[in-house]
Amino acid sequence: MSFLDRIAEGWRKNRKPGYYENFDYHWTMTIDLDQCSGCGACVTACQAENNLPIVGEKAFAKGREVKWLRMEHYWEGEYPDVKLNIIPMLCQHCDNAPCETVCPVSATYHNQDGLNTQIYNRCIGTRSCAVYCPYEVRYFNYNDHTWDSPLDQQLNPDVSVREKGVMEKCTFCIQRVRQAKDTAKDDGRRRVRDGEVQPACVQTCPSQAMAFGDRNDPESNVSQTLAGPRAYRVLDELNTKSSVVYLKKVETEA
Amino acid sequence: MNVSIQPALKSLRTAALIALFALIGICFGYFFNFLVTDNPQVSAPEQPIAFSHKIHAGDNEIPCQYCHTEARRSPSAGVPSVSKCMGCHTEVATESPLIRQVTEYWENKEPIPWIKVHDLPDFVHFTHKRHVQAGVACQTCHGPVETMDRIAVHSRNNDGPTLFASTTGQITNLEASNSGATQNDHWEMGLCLNCHKQHDVVDGKAVRVAEGGFDNGLDCWTCHK
Ligand code: SF4
Ligand code: SF4
Repeated sequence: MSFLDRIAEGWRKNRKPGYYENFDYHWTMTIDLDQCSGCGACVTACQAENNLPIVGEKAFAKGREVKWLRMEHYWEGEYPDVKLNIIPMLCQHCDNAPCETVCPVSATYHNQDGLNTQIYNRCIGTRSCAVYCPYEVRYFNYNDHTWDSPLDQQLNPDVSVREKGVMEKCTFCIQRVRQAKDTAKDDGRRRVRDGEVQPACVQTCPSQAMAFGDRNDPESNVSQTLAGPRAYRVLDELNTKSSVVYLKKVETEA
Repeated sequence: MNVSIQPALKSLRTAALIALFALIGICFGYFFNFLVTDNPQVSAPEQPIAFSHKIHAGDNEIPCQYCHTEARRSPSAGVPSVSKCMGCHTEVATESPLIRQVTEYWENKEPIPWIKVHDLPDFVHFTHKRHVQAGVACQTCHGPVETMDRIAVHSRNNDGPTLFASTTGQITNLEASNSGATQNDHWEMGLCLNCHKQHDVVDGKAVRVAEGGFDNGLDCWTCHK
């Protein structure tokens, strides 16, 4: 194959939405809203695992908070007849990700595991991806952040500390995915077992509302859950084909 | 009405001037960048004890992993502890002045403050384990360490993995004692990618192939996360 043919081939392949015909794995998270109590342990876990900065009061007031996983609150009705609906919102790792198509430097792209990547050292901070993301889960570092001692001692060495001018978002705890693959290779296995990868939020959830696994494997925990009647995707009408699937809350009339 | 082309000419002249300055600026910037960043250097910091890899790994043929035991088990190759040194040097060459220094650290129960020579940027998460287990020789990346008295790497002035500025005097001494041997190449992403594109993993070992590359080895998230 000549050089030009190779480029053309690569172009054709990579322009296809969801451009790997078959993902090696298709990592998927399920969040059962019926089990979710809204405690926010996952938010804290994500913060600790992924070196998320505490931006401070001023930046917070400007809406520059960084929270890869946040709890969204929706109030219903008038006081005293109110109801609170909560939904944990994180990057949905869309297969048709709007954010990927706009990145001028391919700092965000789809990898062979069906994950929406974010490469910090490649990112030039145009922030277009944050504009295109319908879930508003991309966060920009407007400042360099510091960790006062002894907090700097708890930074995760497997995750880069992002600097000013870089976009970031939930990675499905890629460091843990890589670690599980590494362990699998050590054991001479080709594939990661179901339940071997546990992102920080999933691991922490006290009511076990979250689950993580490979959707390509029909036997896996998440595949079974997906087949259930309560499964739905947020903003499905936008055809983002997201990889985070929520399970509807069961309403009981009191 | 009196139409004059004078204003148009004038703005054309301004535009041409701006373009000219921009061109000069770009040329200057290009060469300045070349001058500052593309300046290969040899870096070899002086260690607290003049340890010689040549004597240990070269002349006495001690395998790398005898001391760097973590290389096959963990992402980081690890620097051997003082007890590892003392394992041999309670018996071997105990009277040499350099070994006396080691003994002193040992008796004071202090670690030797070795200086890191091969240092990757923080956004690169390299793992020694996978590479060592796949049968990649240490020398592939680290160069002919067994011929070096003092470990030396190529580095660039402004970027590149090693950020130690070395003085000219050190380099001359070093080149004399090492017969000029340094690490093969700059540690830049191309070094990793070239190798990954040329090899595949067969039965857990890296094998050279014409096309293809490591399964999973070309994803950015392999190293940057
Ligand atoms: S949820 Fe937003 S950031 Fe995540 S893949 Fe979809 S568009 Fe991109
Ligand atoms: S998967 Fe990991 S990065 Fe994503 S929200 Fe959960 S803890 Fe945070």
